[in-house]
Amino acid sequence: MSLLTVLSNVVAVVLLLHLVSLGTLRWLSGAGICRGSLRENVRTVGPTAAVLGALLLANGTVRDVGVQLSWLIGINVTGAIHAIEGGFVAGLQSYATPPLTAYFSFVYVFGYVFLLTFPIVLYVLHDDTRPLSATLVAYALNYGIGLVCYVLFVAYGPRNFMPGAVESLLFANWPEVQALTSQVNENTNVFPSLHTSLSATVALLAARYRSTAPGWLPIAAIGAVSVAIATMYLGIHWLTDVLAGFLLAAFSVGVGARFAERRHGEDGTESLDRSRGTAGGVVEQFRR
Amino acid sequence: MSDQPRLPTGRRSVLAALGSGVAALGSGCLRRARNLTGWRSAQPVELRIKTLPADADPYALRLARRVAAWFREAGIGVDVLPMAEQELVRQCLLRSEFDLFVMRLPAKFRDPDALTTLLHSRFADAPGWQNPFSYTDLDADGTIERQRRTSGEQRREALADLQRTIARSQPFTMLTVPDDVRAARTADDTNWRAADLTDPMDYLQLDRGDGQLRVVGTDRRATTNLNPLSVEFRRSGVLTGLLYDPLARPLDGEYTPWLASSIEFGTDEAPTAQVTLREDVRWHDGESLTADDVVFTYDLLADTTLGDDESAAVPSPEFRGRRTLVDEVSVVDDRRVTLSFVDADEDVARRALTAPILPEHVWRDRTDPAAIGGIPVGTVTEALVTNNIPPVGSGPFEFVRNTPRERLLLERVDDHFSTREGTALPGWIADSALDALSVRVVGSDVAAVEAVTDGESDVTGTAVGASTVPRIGRAEGTELLVRRSERPYVLGYNTGRPHLSNPRFRHTLARLIDGAHLGEDVLDGYARPAVGPLQGTEWYPDDLAWDDGNPVVPFLGQHGELNAEAARASFREAGYQYDDDTLVGGAT
Repeated sequence: MSLLTVLSNVVAVVLLLHLVSLGTLRWLSGAGICRGSLRENVRTVGPTAAVLGALLLANGTVRDVGVQLSWLIGINVTGAIHAIEGGFVAGLQSYATPPLTAYFSFVYVFGYVFLLTFPIVLYVLHDDTRPLSATLVAYALNYGIGLVCYVLFVAYGPRNFMPGAVESLLFANWPEVQALTSQVNENTNVFPSLHTSLSATVALLAARYRSTAPGWLPIAAIGAVSVAIATMYLGIHWLTDVLAGFLLAAFSVGVGARFAERRHGEDGTESLDRSRGTAGGVVEQFRR
Repeated sequence: MSDQPRLPTGRRSVLAALGSGVAALGSGCLRRARNLTGWRSAQPVELRIKTLPADADPYALRLARRVAAWFREAGIGVDVLPMAEQELVRQCLLRSEFDLFVMRLPAKFRDPDALTTLLHSRFADAPGWQNPFSYTDLDADGTIERQRRTSGEQRREALADLQRTIARSQPFTMLTVPDDVRAARTADDTNWRAADLTDPMDYLQLDRGDGQLRVVGTDRRATTNLNPLSVEFRRSGVLTGLLYDPLARPLDGEYTPWLASSIEFGTDEAPTAQVTLREDVRWHDGESLTADDVVFTYDLLADTTLGDDESAAVPSPEFRGRRTLVDEVSVVDDRRVTLSFVDADEDVARRALTAPILPEHVWRDRTDPAAIGGIPVGTVTEALVTNNIPPVGSGPFEFVRNTPRERLLLERVDDHFSTREGTALPGWIADSALDALSVRVVGSDVAAVEAVTDGESDVTGTAVGASTVPRIGRAEGTELLVRRSERPYVLGYNTGRPHLSNPRFRHTLARLIDGAHLGEDVLDGYARPAVGPLQGTEWYPDDLAWDDGNPVVPFLGQHGELNAEAARASFREAGYQYDDDTLVGGAT
């Protein structure tokens, strides 16, 4: 199975997840989705989205440069991380069973992509602009800070550091995925875990803006915890990476939310009021 | 770790005492302080092993961790640090920034004379695979020089002496010699088993129906750099061996004239060779290959600056050993050159003819110090660091295109001289059915095997681990190729570092390692233990054979279980002590 096949699989599965979730949108988001939100939101957060997009593009193109720079100036912290936490990941893997492996592999690849993309769809349709704006800012911070960390710290994950003790469960059972992950990342970029930090970002934002989408919070929370465990269970990240990921998420959400609230109003009451009046527009929105 | 020098605690506390009170200024106290500073306290022995991550090499890291575990049982503080292959080579072989490394020796060290550059003290400061251990031993130097000048029984004796010396003093410890495990697409007549895929010419033996060979591997270096002189980017030399031609190639175990139509040896005081080049040989860009290119190449290998005798020479590390066999190369006419060798036996000297010949019109401009953005950086020349893409060679294959870090494509050269009539080369070279060779890079050995079992690639080009064997066995249309490898895993010691400079310490470290157990446990039996690098060749003495264990540095334990007490006793005998189960020794 080639890269293209894997990629189309991921796109197909994530699209399916999106469709299912959109079907339950009313339950997920309660009220607040209205006609015209989409256009207005796109216009107001346009600049932020552009920054995030530029960052993602840059991430793709300078990855090679980053790796070269990293070997020149970065510190190889693999040994230090192992000294701190020892065989935690190996211990976690001792509970491995085929169903768990299947679940976490699914979460790591498909669940993660869904978790990252769905809030954008959800918030873009909502008439409160703050969550969308906060999400974009937080994503940008995650990528930006993550990129800097990847240059400063060279580290290999447990699967690369303690083969034998820690198995590379994902790639051993599903080698095609490595074609995909090696396209988007390097095996020396493990500290911090961006999988964890971005998923935790989604969950924290869901908690902060639970009034806009109360149904989304439990899904996001379970997803984020699953992704964090999956990164360790599959032997890809250290516990240290995951903890650093949580810190990065907390910081990004803090800054992102503050930015959004300063820019789009301290509280969303005004827009909430308005949305109550036009709650019926939700279904209409999706019939189009 | 041990990379940082420590302020001896004794001196530090004395300084503190000095600063702390007026009483310290008394002359008696000062005298006492001076006496004390002469004494340094013993420090724990701490070592770091540098090696490759599991994605890049299936065994290196597991071997390093197993060795580290044995060392820890003996009270030594050890940590293991993985890094990318290019970086590992840079730190260990170019900058000597290491205590210990686990790497595979290049295959060239199966030739006894190649041990000259690996072990002679003359090369202790030289970069690349030239005495990376900084090993200096006058006995070893003597035997190395002797084997160059002698032949037959005398040379055999010299090499036996050399191997006994290094087996005792251990500049490096042989960990295990792995088998090369490969996955290959089953095709009726591909001839996989006859070909040694670490030898460039053997690729010409492969009989592919469509003329295509798709190789998949984990090493991305060849997709970004095809410089035959590069230290960090070369592994087996297969690709550069297909792109560039030497004067002679080893074919079926014999040095066979290749670019040369004839090579006649004569003896003056030292051997000489009259080399006549084949007619109408062309570089891939269409220029003619002449005697000038040959002379230029040997000059460049000796000193890539092509400077005069007064400026410092920057020789090519990769071909230094071969170049040191040649005294002078001179042009006779357009197609003839004379090589005069140094005082060496003719059979030894022949090896110098296997260096790749480079085009003068391309490499002439690469003799200046390498620069970044126009600013020269150090003394290294452009020739040693250029990525040389596209490469202009004269070999049977030429470069078509590359996608850095992903792909490389080479195609057969039409009308290469080796396909002509009357070359006196073996028939399979002229009749080769291979038209194109592509290399694809994937993330790990499992992914490489998967690419073969899925039919996207034909054969794995880099080592895959024994754990992939069941996967290969299960897959339809895929066969398992297992062949003895010429490249052992070694634990290299930096003998310039404290403790490791002591041969008795290294000898004792070597006794903490059970080579047989490593082969069975880490490599699942796809390996054999070895004592010296020439094991299995005709140059290997019987008394160093591995029968029940290592005859020179026997394991201090049984079946992989270290006898910690015996290990401790052995270190104490070597002058070391234990402080709470921690090995301490001399001041570092």
